[in-house]
Amino acid sequence: MTGEEAEPLKIRNYITSMGKKLLLFVISVLILSLLVFYISRLSPGDPLVSYYGDRVEKMSTQEREWARERLGLNNPIYVQYIRWLQNVLEGNFGISYKYKMDVTEVIGGRIINTLLLGGIGFVFIFLLAPVLGIVCAWHEDKLPDRILCRIGTVTGCIPEFWLSLVLILIFAVFLRWLPSSGAYTIGAEHDAADRVRHLLLPLAVVVMSHLWYYAYMIRNKLLSEIRADYVLLARMKGLRKSQVMLGHCLPNVAPAYFSIMAISVPHILGGTYVVETVFSYPGIGTLIYESARYQDYNLLMLLSLLTGITVIFCNMLAQTISERIDPRIRSEEEGSLREVKEQ
Amino acid sequence: MKDGFQVVGIQQQIQQNVVKPQNQWQGKPILSALLLSCIVILCCACELIITKDPSYLDLQHHSTAPNSQFLFGTDTMGRDIFSMIWYGGRISLFIGFVSTFLTTAVAVIVGAVSGCASKRVDAAIMRMVDILLSVPDLLVVVLLQAALGSPGVVSIAFVIGMTGWMSMSKVIRTEVRQIRNSEYVIASKCMGGGFFHVLWHHLAPNFISSVMFMVVMSIRSAIVAESTLSFMGMGLPVEVISWGSMLSLAGQALSGRAWWMILFPGLFLVTTLVCLTNLGNHLRGHVNRRHSNL
Repeated sequence: MTGEEAEPLKIRNYITSMGKKLLLFVISVLILSLLVFYISRLSPGDPLVSYYGDRVEKMSTQEREWARERLGLNNPIYVQYIRWLQNVLEGNFGISYKYKMDVTEVIGGRIINTLLLGGIGFVFIFLLAPVLGIVCAWHEDKLPDRILCRIGTVTGCIPEFWLSLVLILIFAVFLRWLPSSGAYTIGAEHDAADRVRHLLLPLAVVVMSHLWYYAYMIRNKLLSEIRADYVLLARMKGLRKSQVMLGHCLPNVAPAYFSIMAISVPHILGGTYVVETVFSYPGIGTLIYESARYQDYNLLMLLSLLTGITVIFCNMLAQTISERIDPRIRSEEEGSLREVKEQ
Repeated sequence: MKDGFQVVGIQQQIQQNVVKPQNQWQGKPILSALLLSCIVILCCACELIITKDPSYLDLQHHSTAPNSQFLFGTDTMGRDIFSMIWYGGRISLFIGFVSTFLTTAVAVIVGAVSGCASKRVDAAIMRMVDILLSVPDLLVVVLLQAALGSPGVVSIAFVIGMTGWMSMSKVIRTEVRQIRNSEYVIASKCMGGGFFHVLWHHLAPNFISSVMFMVVMSIRSAIVAESTLSFMGMGLPVEVISWGSMLSLAGQALSGRAWWMILFPGLFLVTTLVCLTNLGNHLRGHVNRRHSNL
């Protein structure tokens, strides 16, 4: 088959595989939403409390019944689900029981903060991990590598909340250099320097608690890479150590790194809720917790949909990345592909 | 070295000639194992070393800095932190072990069923696991908590165990898929071996080495999960002493500049976690001892 004939076939294959993925994506999201919907409705607790606050205590049975009717909580769960789905398809995610606002508005004001914290943290981790990994692999088993490994293991073990507490204790309570909570000083919402000062400590926690996991992974992958025969060949040709490391080994490690980082996007972005809580940082992490605890159904649904979609999307992205970069995976059939990815 | 000629690749031969006297203990996490067993034993036998009743509220001496009477100081409710650490460690470790046991049991069963099942069932189960993985952890924990009622030690262990089995089950499934068509498995099935017989006698010995690492790591993450949950007020209440619930008073400690309330429980927590990690990494083992070509 000549190249010209193969081209349309390739495109058609590409489209079908994309279509398949899209379908799978939609089905996964639907099942996820159904699951969360049922779990949240079936778990005990009174959504009226989050809507009316303490006034629920004083309401008569009739009033309660009327309120439940008004919020549509008396219908069977599947009817509620279908109604919710219809509204969502029209772009209406409902109102938050607690904030009495459109849920998109509630989230919109806060998601920027989380994206800022998680996003900048992600970029730092993404860039620093290879650097640390290369430094370690370069000095394998020598002093710098050992010291870095020790420090890394310890920082990787420290629970996020305790690290935050210790940092607050040192930098905010004793040294008084940095603020201990919030995203900005009240009255200085638009002062960039102030925001940065508030962001420093949470960011440090996010980066420190995740960084070593990825750096260590790169270190180990590089270590097995520099034992390959092509490295010897390259050295015999007269290439310098740094050329071999950066020009040969690193590109070979890159695909695995990219796909793992893609899977980790939701992990790092969504994993900020502990940090957000300790630093009273107004992000969406605390919202998830609140909405689940106080039966704020609409808010809960949108939040878990958002996180779920990010997770599923990033998993697919990771799969696509490794398919695009590594021709071995691309050529194999889908069944074996999944197994390769999981190993 | 830098300019001109350099010999590469010759190290391998030199390496072969020198036979290093191998120390039996070399490269093994002795220190971690010792520290960890010290902590576990002392926590289990905490009655022998604690100096005060850990739950006694000595309101006269609340928030006192470490001194000879209160070795690690007292918390805002006047409880002796030194005694609380050993007493609470018992609960933290208990939760770690129980929830890991649960995690492992569920993971092995789901992984083995999925690994042995037909292609479609397997795909369905794995898709389900993927979806479960994409539900935010926190959400599941809060909802399960709500369903189980007031949080207690056992219910927390159950909740943590139920949220952590997914990734382990994926590993087990992959392992099982690789060996399920081996002759000995088929032979065992032909002779009438049931699912659990095959699982226990033929499959488990094969995947146990790759799962051991994950089991140790899951103890670690269970302890972290317990302390984080208790710290955020979703786990154990303040009256039930554990390393996490001790730290839930940290907010008050921060405003009172009471560093000892935060530092000591955390240090014990982190030491335990580091030891577990070292042990886990050792179990993962198979360090590549070939000489570097670089």
